[in-house]
Amino acid sequence: MSALDLADIQGGILRAYGRQGFPKARYFFLTIRDAAKGRHFVETLRPRITTAARWKNPEREEPLLRTRNPRVKDVVRAEGAPDYPGEVQLIKPKVALNIAFTFPGLQALDVPTRTLREMPDEYMDGMEKRAPLLGDDPFLDKRDAVWRDSRGDKRVHILVSMNAEMNKDGTPIAELEEETRWLEALCAESEGGVVLLSGTGPDGARYQEMSAVLREDDGVMSPTNKEHFGLSDGFGDPVFEGQMSGEAERLRMIGGGKILPDLSWAPLATGEFLLGYSDEAQEIPGAAMPIEFSRNGTFMAYRKLHENVGSFADYIEKAGARYARMYGIADPVEARDTVKAKLVGRWHDGVPLMAAPTYQAWKAFNAELAAARAAGDKPKLAQFALRFTNFQYRPDPDGATCPVTSHLRRANPRDMLDPNFTSTNKGSWDGSALVNRRRILRRGLPYGDVDPAAPSDSGEQGIIFLALCTGLFRQFEFVQQQWMQYGLDFNAGSDTCPIIGNAGEEEDSHKLMVVTEPATGRQPFLCDRIPQLVEPRGGDYFFIPSMTALRMIGMGIVDPT
Amino acid sequence: MPDLDGGHYFYTGLVPICNVGIVQHEAMKSSPIHMVREALETLPTALQSHASEKIGIQSPFARSLRTHFTRLVVLDQPFYNGRDHANALVSALSGTDLLKAGPIDTLACPYVMVMIDFDPVDPQGKGEPRAYFEELWRLMPDELDAVFRYAYGFSKVKDPASFADMMLACQIETTMPFNDYWIGAPQLPSLSKALLAAVPIVAIGGAAAIAILSHWPWWAGILLGIALLIVAVFIDYWLVMRQGGKSFPAAPNSTLRDVLKGLYLQQAFTRFAAERQGGDPATLGAAFRDFLAKHKPNDLDGPTQTPGVIRSHFPEGTA
Repeated sequence: MSALDLADIQGGILRAYGRQGFPKARYFFLTIRDAAKGRHFVETLRPRITTAARWKNPEREEPLLRTRNPRVKDVVRAEGAPDYPGEVQLIKPKVALNIAFTFPGLQALDVPTRTLREMPDEYMDGMEKRAPLLGDDPFLDKRDAVWRDSRGDKRVHILVSMNAEMNKDGTPIAELEEETRWLEALCAESEGGVVLLSGTGPDGARYQEMSAVLREDDGVMSPTNKEHFGLSDGFGDPVFEGQMSGEAERLRMIGGGKILPDLSWAPLATGEFLLGYSDEAQEIPGAAMPIEFSRNGTFMAYRKLHENVGSFADYIEKAGARYARMYGIADPVEARDTVKAKLVGRWHDGVPLMAAPTYQAWKAFNAELAAARAAGDKPKLAQFALRFTNFQYRPDPDGATCPVTSHLRRANPRDMLDPNFTSTNKGSWDGSALVNRRRILRRGLPYGDVDPAAPSDSGEQGIIFLALCTGLFRQFEFVQQQWMQYGLDFNAGSDTCPIIGNAGEEEDSHKLMVVTEPATGRQPFLCDRIPQLVEPRGGDYFFIPSMTALRMIGMGIVDPT
Repeated sequence: MPDLDGGHYFYTGLVPICNVGIVQHEAMKSSPIHMVREALETLPTALQSHASEKIGIQSPFARSLRTHFTRLVVLDQPFYNGRDHANALVSALSGTDLLKAGPIDTLACPYVMVMIDFDPVDPQGKGEPRAYFEELWRLMPDELDAVFRYAYGFSKVKDPASFADMMLACQIETTMPFNDYWIGAPQLPSLSKALLAAVPIVAIGGAAAIAILSHWPWWAGILLGIALLIVAVFIDYWLVMRQGGKSFPAAPNSTLRDVLKGLYLQQAFTRFAAERQGGDPATLGAAFRDFLAKHKPNDLDGPTQTPGVIRSHFPEGTA
């Protein structure tokens, strides 16, 4: 395909900001009470929007050695090849600013009905109406005020996001506060035309503060890829055509792209993640007209997910003790880490069970990785980087290594849903054909703080989960409803995801079966009575327009005829 | 017999509705098909989803221990999808007048389409679907009356036998039922390719032998060969069709009562396994014998799941 128009696509879509050196963020929710003032607001904001255009980061550290776990994108950089497409004409900003709209937001800005009526149903509905489908209905009353009150003159219309760099002491850089004050001043200038909504937390905060979980090394704070359960996250993001440079694509599609019938990897179709391009069904995904209003834009589910870290710690403690007793494991840490890994599909540092099936194999993996790091052995580190994502489930049909209903395997079943998964006739294999239309780009950052010494369910801690795709119904909602809140595709009846699924009202219904190799004669382990670990605290569906569409919205010239 | 497949009977019927005049009910005046639709729309569905589980009003079809699946649909008119497509060149050459309206298919009256999968009393389906509809009338006469009271022929329905008469008259043959109870691929006997190939070979060989032994001229031998080959093709066709016409075998334990018992046992055993895991192996045998005594795996009448619900409920500690 021809190169993407990077300067027309908003930033944060092709790449996750959290992994581009922006570990801090503030998300602002606004309502528009006057269409003309709303458009003026958009026009004022427009020059500041960060796009996907390539930039140079003069402060970037040594590839492959700069992070604890080597990353695939660094493999390409270490070879001296660019990992990102396009020319470098920009210097990396200190704060990346972006904008997205709910359906009522576009209405409030007077986008024509003829354009709006072609928007997808789920986007028009918004997340609250979709609660029964998403499994959110038991938690609607626990939402932040900004979402509970999101109607009438307090309806959330606009999301303005600011992703920022961090000082060495772990605080956001001063520019974030300056940008915040600028945005507040802009709202004030509108004299009630555009209003910043408060109530994004129990304390009525004016914005959603977010931060990577930090690690302290000799007084210097650095961001990690952990969330508050202590699990490393964000390895298996989809890779699609045009997203990265040729060399980076060649490497990163392995484990990130789609699996072809011959079990080789290829990047997913651009149209799965950006509107206006052909998707995996060789169709242009449904989009509002004119096409330039939709092209290079995408949809986003914003979800604030509270993490019950106390319940998680308690459960791992109890289940770990039982696991240790059953299998005669002396070290309680080994038992706890194993139970955690079986629930998630990865060890807590992100090493997949498919790469290190046992505790001992994991320790060996890490020892070898540490040795390679110490020796600065970049070819070896490059090999390790790939092992975090390069696996398929055909060698493990029963889930004896990685449980079939673990979070990882549910979220992206890879080759597992091949109708001929267990067939010995290689000619009949279909790769990941049934999964390719169900992938989402996962973005977002954790929020809140947790005291690891005294984890508690109360308080503000969790992750802001952002799912980006061109079809929220086909991709995000399908994964949430069918794979997270149900188990039939995995022959697990009504079982839900052990991590983010609903525990249900019957207290013994939330469970995960840890099967064992029959040849070992070991008993299987049943993780039963898993408590509710993750609870939604609100959110909505947003349209992230291209820069062209944003100009059309701001200037009031969307013309569907 | 395609109506009986996989051990289940797949009834499909089209029941014509007399949609003439109006029906006065309370303060409303409605068309008969409006009444049929309302009766269907207010018929409770089974309590088999999280949304319907707590409603507490069960589908009347769940009163039968033979009903797997029921679907009732109102067909008002076939949906008109525009003029038939034609090749523009063909239309031009044949002088098609595009200003002349093409035919539009219509139905003379609305129909209720009835599709029910149920267990036949006799494995070969003997006496079905009559026996099923007679049973259904005994179990849910009021609901059936509400749905079918405006159907042509319903005036003669007064008892189970006459209701079955009406439904039998409305039955249409179906050729592609679907059921999902096979866990693995069933072992289906395949028609031997060698047998199919042998039939025409024998025909040609036979013709050649007859021609040579009888000293026929060559052209007579070829004519006989062609004639026998045509017969051979028909024999092969008959063999294939006879094989295809056989019912798909029943999956093991796939009657509704078996399925309900299976669902019940699955839930009971999961609880048993959860409560016992990691326990003293010495007590496991006795506990499992207790489990067998309590849940009676071989007894379909014993503790089992009631039809039309999403789960069984076990008081704490009964597993």
